[in-house]
Amino acid sequence: MPPFYIFSEEKVLLETKNGTPLISMRNIKKSFGSVHALQGASLNVHAGEIVALVGDNGAGKSTLVKVMAGVHGWDAGDYEFEGKPVKIKNPSDANNLGIQTVYQDLALCDNLDAVQNLFLGRELAGPKIFGSRVRRAACEVRAKEVMARMRLSNLSLSRPVGAMSGGQRQNIAIARSILWTPKVVILDEPTAALSHSAAAQVSSLIRTLADEGLGVVVVSHDIHHFVVEATDRIEVMRLGANVASFKSSDVTGEQVVNAMVGGDEGANLAG
Amino acid sequence: MTETLDTPQPEAHRKRTFGELLTSDLRALPVIIGLVALWVFFATQSDVFLTARNLSNLFVQSTVVGIMALGLMFVLLVKEIDLSVAAINGVTAVLMAKLVVEFGFSPWISIPIAIVFGAAVGSMSARWVTFVGVPSFVVTLGLGLALNGVQLLLLPQTARYGLLGTGVEVIAQTKISGASAWLVLAIGLAVFSSLVVSSMARRKKAGLSVAVMSGLILPIVGGTVFGIIVVAILNSHQGIPLVTLTFAILLGIGGYVLKETTFGLHIYAVGNNDEAARRAGIKVENIKMAAFAIAGGVAALAGVIAASRTLGVGVFSGGGIGGGTLLLESIAAAVIGGVSLFGGRGSIHAALLGALVIGSVQNGLNLMGVENEIRLIVTGLLLVLAVSIDKLIERFTGQQSF
Repeated sequence: MPPFYIFSEEKVLLETKNGTPLISMRNIKKSFGSVHALQGASLNVHAGEIVALVGDNGAGKSTLVKVMAGVHGWDAGDYEFEGKPVKIKNPSDANNLGIQTVYQDLALCDNLDAVQNLFLGRELAGPKIFGSRVRRAACEVRAKEVMARMRLSNLSLSRPVGAMSGGQRQNIAIARSILWTPKVVILDEPTAALSHSAAAQVSSLIRTLADEGLGVVVVSHDIHHFVVEATDRIEVMRLGANVASFKSSDVTGEQVVNAMVGGDEGANLAG
Repeated sequence: MTETLDTPQPEAHRKRTFGELLTSDLRALPVIIGLVALWVFFATQSDVFLTARNLSNLFVQSTVVGIMALGLMFVLLVKEIDLSVAAINGVTAVLMAKLVVEFGFSPWISIPIAIVFGAAVGSMSARWVTFVGVPSFVVTLGLGLALNGVQLLLLPQTARYGLLGTGVEVIAQTKISGASAWLVLAIGLAVFSSLVVSSMARRKKAGLSVAVMSGLILPIVGGTVFGIIVVAILNSHQGIPLVTLTFAILLGIGGYVLKETTFGLHIYAVGNNDEAARRAGIKVENIKMAAFAIAGGVAALAGVIAASRTLGVGVFSGGGIGGGTLLLESIAAAVIGGVSLFGGRGSIHAALLGALVIGSVQNGLNLMGVENEIRLIVTGLLLVLAVSIDKLIERFTGQQSF
């Protein structure tokens, strides 16, 4: 079996695990004025699977992920969640379905500690008459559970996150995304600006999530160290559409890069 | 960036170093040391300084600046600034006096009107900042000047309203003495202790680690000892001045709001990273508006207190045209106490410590017979010194303080 499949003009269903995908996006089109960011992009995300979305700058992967997360609407195409067509108008619609996104900038408040960041905007609080006093103990118990689930019990819950390392901050951002038990977690460049060992830590964390049955979508430029090694399936996008799909275990970084830029040397080498 | 994948430290249970403590829980330590040093110095220079009478005076003198700093703190925490607080202080005091003197309003009505007016002015400038997008520095600078004009318009031909005999002067003259003072302290300590105990009890019930010493005994014993000393000093003169009690109550409420409530948490979040706060579903505009409204309302209250102390209002109210030293000292007090001008940093005790430092310098140098000029120079240098120490600690410990 060749390591990847080039898509023809007709829609080809992506090779994925069996069963109904959590997310099924087919032939999604999206334009910003005269810029056709997505020209028929497709993506399936199954439970327990880590899908990498790769492509050069402008390939449309960020747009696809933002459509998935409800940041952008889409012009045409089908978006199904757990087999049912959905209308997602804004990020909170996506959150309500169980789709959480960890953005590249992490959106953490450096002066707050891990527990406060985890619950920011959704604090467990007492009655309004006492000014909605934060139920710190309840929050902390919940945070500890999540941290234990992610095997991050070592992480201090009471230090300001600004005093933490990049890897620890990334982990806290991921922990926040799974706090309310989502079904799909989208991670935008989770290993950018991380050291090699910190990236490895994030990889193992993502695997833990997938093993628990979450669907994980990762957008990354870190092909050689992260994408090929830490994901299950790689979807390559170019010019707003899917151009190739790999099983991560069957492919080398070179082949993925070649598919991204449109060269065919990788395929020749593989053949 | 150093990572510890292979040998993860049990960070959650690690004892913190002194440097880390200095940048977190003990951030106030240098200011407290500075304040003690100032007091020791003034005590050696003047026999009068440490008398109950003078210390009582010092507390009262520090109140107006302290209350102003407390309100301003909320605005600084959300990474904005309000340069109109002194003007709000002045214009609301004059408004209050006009209502009382010219229109015969009772102080019970005119004072709340003044406070609501101050809060409304503050929330208006917040709306201008968040919707139009003009920096708060500019909006409140302009507003402050405009309010100075309004203040002059409100004043009569004589440029002064006397408040003697109107009932407003009672605020500054009232002192709670004897057993009542101890009762007030007992109530305050009971409320404080019940809050500390209840959060510890919840932690224990939830099976979380409970820091009995630093989380339970130290705050309660410390608070009790501090309270007893202060009340004993005040009581041995004439009792707790009502204005000082007002400041203390505001400090308590402010501390509770900032440290315990979701609103307080959101203030810190907005001040550090408003985009993150927005994405977390926090209504950033509303938080900022509330912060400005608090600063405005509290400034108005300080204006009433100042009017009561000086037995009248005039051009000088609110620090005079341009806010004068009142504006600068209010900002300086908050900053000396440890509030960052870059948002999201500073605790409620900043208002108390900052105001006491500024008040002590003023009071002490007065007793030494030093001219006003020197006092300004010293206060200015202390401001720069306080922030410098903060920065140096950050540099030497390698920890950013929050």
